Amino acid sequence: MPLFRPKEYFRVATVGEAVSLLKRFGGAAAILAGGTDLLVAKPPHVEYIVDISRLPLNYIKKGARGVRIGALATLNDIAASPELREEPYDVIARSTWDMGTPLTKNFATIGGNICNAAPSADMPPSLIALDAEARIIGPRGKRRVFLEDFFIGPKKSVLKRGELLAEIFVPRAPANTKAVFLKKGRTSEDIAQVNVAVRLTVDDGLCKAARIVLGAVAPTPIRAKAAERMLEGKGLKEISQIMVDVARKAAEETKPISDVRAPAEYRRSVAEVLTKRALLNLMERFGGA
Amino acid sequence: MVGKGQKMIRVTLNVNGRDYVVEVKPHWTLLHVLRDQLGLTGVKYGCGTGECGACTVLIDGKPMTSCLVLAASADGRKIVTIEGIADKGKLHPIQEAFIEAGAIQCGYCTPGMILTAKALLEKNPNPTEEEVRRAIDGNLCRCTGYVKIVKAILEAAKKMKA
Repeated sequence: MPLFRPKEYFRVATVGEAVSLLKRFGGAAAILAGGTDLLVAKPPHVEYIVDISRLPLNYIKKGARGVRIGALATLNDIAASPELREEPYDVIARSTWDMGTPLTKNFATIGGNICNAAPSADMPPSLIALDAEARIIGPRGKRRVFLEDFFIGPKKSVLKRGELLAEIFVPRAPANTKAVFLKKGRTSEDIAQVNVAVRLTVDDGLCKAARIVLGAVAPTPIRAKAAERMLEGKGLKEISQIMVDVARKAAEETKPISDVRAPAEYRRSVAEVLTKRALLNLMERFGGA
Repeated sequence: MVGKGQKMIRVTLNVNGRDYVVEVKPHWTLLHVLRDQLGLTGVKYGCGTGECGACTVLIDGKPMTSCLVLAASADGRKIVTIEGIADKGKLHPIQEAFIEAGAIQCGYCTPGMILTAKALLEKNPNPTEEEVRRAIDGNLCRCTGYVKIVKAILEAAKKMKA
């Protein structure tokens, strides 16, 4: 069996250096940020390691337009960040709670969790629910992609040869926006069997915007758009009455597979339960239940 | 170029206050180098996938699983292993507390457990039992059932304040 035996290790000091190495080596290169996925997978095809861990991309900054999270922010940095205490950004911090252990969260990065593009990853649903965008740097300069459009399949993202995820930008949420993240795994360390983030923006007692984002139930994290549409424009009282139907609709929009972690029927059923619980949680917090 | 065409990397690891210059292969983990190059066998190999915490060391003060850290990437970092926490032959208060509470059985998890506890108590000198349990969530012990470990850490907190 071929082993993980990269030929060469590069530690880069600038983003430009990283981009040029990634462009030169293409699929034979692996990016090392925290390494908590790379050194578990130990992919034998990797010939070059590009260590980006010293790049100045470890920050969480809140400005007038939103929150910027550097790709190298660790999961523990995110969990403890004062910038992510306020609603609805608290959902981003909450999403780190049931991932790995406190030890691995000291160096596992948000960029790694996103770029590995696991359908079960815990960070993407909350970020997608808050309309976050991925800020990418590559050989042709910078570009932005909504995180919703970043994933194209299991382990596949829109990143092209030479490109690097530099930052996640979470736009400033409208007033009266709350979000919740729920996860079902076998244990708290384990990968999600299903996870969900739900975000509601309420104005004058009516739901102005809704996001229901589910993970581990399709090749990528997905938005349950038909279920979202059932919520938009509705009053809180009405939402409380239709919650069960909304959750059922969201579950219908999933395309789960059966694997070692859970059968498809179970995932679909849990997707419904978690969506319902998430809506219930939000209704209680909005005072509409 | 050495071995199967792998290029060695020269790194300086500051371990327990001393600089070690070592040549490492690109895939070598910090755990491997600490044990097999530097002879610091207090750090243990458990699962190799960051789940058990037996390989915990402090890197720049934070507990991390050294099985998932590339040695090359640890260049210039300050690393503390269990060998580095006694003071001139006098055990660290957490080590003493583990002995006094009977928190050690087979001992395999103990170095990692103590280093995680050390990082916790430096950040939070007065933790609740709940906070201790959360902190050691990534360090598995298959002997003790954790009761005595938690007790030892709480006792150590008292000792360190005294």
